[in-house]
Amino acid sequence: MSDFLQAYLTVAVFGGTAGLLIAGVLGLGRLIRPSRPNPDKLTTYESGVDPVGSGFSQSQVRYYIFALLFVLFDVEAVFIFPWAVGLETYSYFGLVEMGIFVFILVLGLVYAWRKGVLRWV
Amino acid sequence: MTAALLFAQVEKVATPKLDWAATAPLLILCGAALLLLLISSLTTSRPARGTYAVITVLASAFAIGTAGVLWARVTDAERGAFTTAAGALTVDGFSVFFIVVISLGIALSALLADDYLRRENLDGPELYVLMLLSGAGGIVMAMANDLIVVFLGLETLSIALYVMAGFNRRRAESRESAMKYFVLGAFSSAFLLYGIAFIYGATGSTNLGDIAGFLNANTLEHTGLLLGGFALLLVGFGFKASAVPFHVWTPDVYQGAPTPVTAFMASASKAAAFAALLRVFVSTFAEYRLDWQPLIWGIAVLTLVVGSVLAIVQTDVKRMMAYSSISHAGFILVGVQAATAQGVSAALFYVLSYTFMIVGTFGVATLVSGKGDEHHGLEAYRGLSRRRPGLALTFTVFLLAQAGVPLTSGFLAKFYVIGAAVDAHSYALALIAMLSSVVSAFLYLRIVVAMYMTDEEGAEPGPRVRVPLGAGVALGLAVAFTVVVGILPQQVVHWADRAIPVVLASGR
Amino acid sequence: MIAQNIAFGILAASSVLAAIRMVTTKNVVHAALYLVVVLGSVAANYILLAAEFVAVVQLLVYIGAIVVLFLFGVMLTRAKLGHEGELDNDQRGLAAVTALLILGILGYVLVDYFGDDKLPQLNRTHEQLNATRGTGAVGNAIFSTYLIPFEVVSVLLLAALVGAIVLARRD
Repeated sequence: MSDFLQAYLTVAVFGGTAGLLIAGVLGLGRLIRPSRPNPDKLTTYESGVDPVGSGFSQSQVRYYIFALLFVLFDVEAVFIFPWAVGLETYSYFGLVEMGIFVFILVLGLVYAWRKGVLRWV
Repeated sequence: MTAALLFAQVEKVATPKLDWAATAPLLILCGAALLLLLISSLTTSRPARGTYAVITVLASAFAIGTAGVLWARVTDAERGAFTTAAGALTVDGFSVFFIVVISLGIALSALLADDYLRRENLDGPELYVLMLLSGAGGIVMAMANDLIVVFLGLETLSIALYVMAGFNRRRAESRESAMKYFVLGAFSSAFLLYGIAFIYGATGSTNLGDIAGFLNANTLEHTGLLLGGFALLLVGFGFKASAVPFHVWTPDVYQGAPTPVTAFMASASKAAAFAALLRVFVSTFAEYRLDWQPLIWGIAVLTLVVGSVLAIVQTDVKRMMAYSSISHAGFILVGVQAATAQGVSAALFYVLSYTFMIVGTFGVATLVSGKGDEHHGLEAYRGLSRRRPGLALTFTVFLLAQAGVPLTSGFLAKFYVIGAAVDAHSYALALIAMLSSVVSAFLYLRIVVAMYMTDEEGAEPGPRVRVPLGAGVALGLAVAFTVVVGILPQQVVHWADRAIPVVLASGR
Repeated sequence: MIAQNIAFGILAASSVLAAIRMVTTKNVVHAALYLVVVLGSVAANYILLAAEFVAVVQLLVYIGAIVVLFLFGVMLTRAKLGHEGELDNDQRGLAAVTALLILGILGYVLVDYFGDDKLPQLNRTHEQLNATRGTGAVGNAIFSTYLIPFEVVSVLLLAALVGAIVLARRD
């Protein structure tokens, strides 16, 4: 196996161990604890107010624009990482190019802000 | 730590040389979009009427001006075509030609949009910003020398268009058209991307110059991957060009979108799709011409037939024009199918003439539809010759040009593509193209008859039609071009002849 | 090489199964969660190809942002969530035929071209792999060959941003 994948094998082993550990502990608990099923135990807050309706509910439409903006700036961030890795290599050239890249999107953000899209009304 | 110290590293990447003059049209369009956003965010009071439209038109005019300078440079025998930005963009006559076509599309549509937006109470810079960005995307597609650049250009063009289609949010049809266009468009982009992956797999590069070089130098033992790539790329480009069987979105979207946006879609967006199709297929895959020509042949026949036949049964003028734009795409495909310099030149002439014709047509439709963008039925045009004789005459010119009546640019456009098909020995295709043009002539005449012949006695008079300044200028330009080029085509033909795409290997 | 093949087998099986469940489940939220499994397996496949940066981007953008957007969209549009019968329509059979046809063609094309070509061996050191496939290599490509695409991306994102503003703004 290559050196590269070996490093990821460690990750996989860690993940597997963590899964096994949780499954083991929970399984052990299941084996040794007494079992007395009761419908009240299945409610979300056993000793609180009775929950009403379903857990899935319609959410506010105004969240959506933030989710959209998040995707856009997430993609922008993706391009910033490779620049950061080679910051010295790309020198002023990289700085200018990244500056243009960010500036264009900042302008869009300023526009969104001025048009009141970011306001929480 | 000072910046100088931070950057005091010896190792540098080979930074690409950017030819500023070559990218000037793109920079102008994007810069104008940013300027519009800036003006709108920094000013508190509403700017004077039409400011945004004027900026958009000026930016397009500047872009055309810089394109003129570039044209002198690339058609100069000693300097010729070149690539810039590390082989990402090609600057040749072809790029310059499409810069002009797409910029014209932006300018004319913006002139139509100016009054439309005020009429529909949607005034603001957004539509112009989107139009400029979309046009810039189209130009990137036309200049692209790399499949990845083609894809990014197409996405920029499309994403802006999806939103533009749904710009009139109060109309359910507009929202519906945006949704349809978006879902199907995203689907077709996926096909295009898959096709790019296949081509990369088969040739080891996404650079068009390198691909062409590879295909010329090597004989592929297994061509399946390459041919699969051709098919998938055709799906992507065919969708944007609304070629049958990838046309299903066209009638609904053209009908539902705000009419100036439809004009932009039919002109600039279609032109960009054909630009990419011509550069990628005719120039880059020239070696495998015999493999993709039958595909285009089939698509062209279907597009011609379906477009002209289904156009006849429509009653909504915008929908008719949507189907007729499908059949026009078929004609341009006839030029593409020839895969000769003559075919390309004919296709270019067609694209340029069609840009003016269709913007004019949808321009008249914008005006006739009245407030609410609703009156698009044939009955709205009844007796237009009495209410607005000038407008009726203008519309007649555009319709006759689309039908291919002599002394209009539309006739010559059809004549040249069919001539190219005959010279490339595609006789059957030439015949089908001629027949479909006869069939669709019926459709255009039906509208002309409605405008002139219908007896208005007793009938309800249609809505009053106003011709605002911006739209008037756009229509005037379009009529002038259609008629003047219809009579004196030499100069435009000369330009189209010198705008054959070249594919240059990537050089630093 | 064997470990790589086993890992690929597990990932491929889980992504195919999750993809099938994604289109057959009657619960839209479950469909989105199955999509997470599909996208996660794809990310792991990128690691098998030593494309670490792409793998991280896949996690960051697709699972971190796009699936969240999907879930938001689902939660905004549907008042009642859970088992829904009307997710299917009568085009189901046609869709299956089309999908199988495309699978057949694309599969044939790939097998025809690549046959039993082996994947490039990854038995170089981590540093060597990083030089060609790491984040730094991606950065080098962005700031040299793909400079124009890089700037076009920002224009693309601006178009999307303005589009989002247009669609989200209240009258």
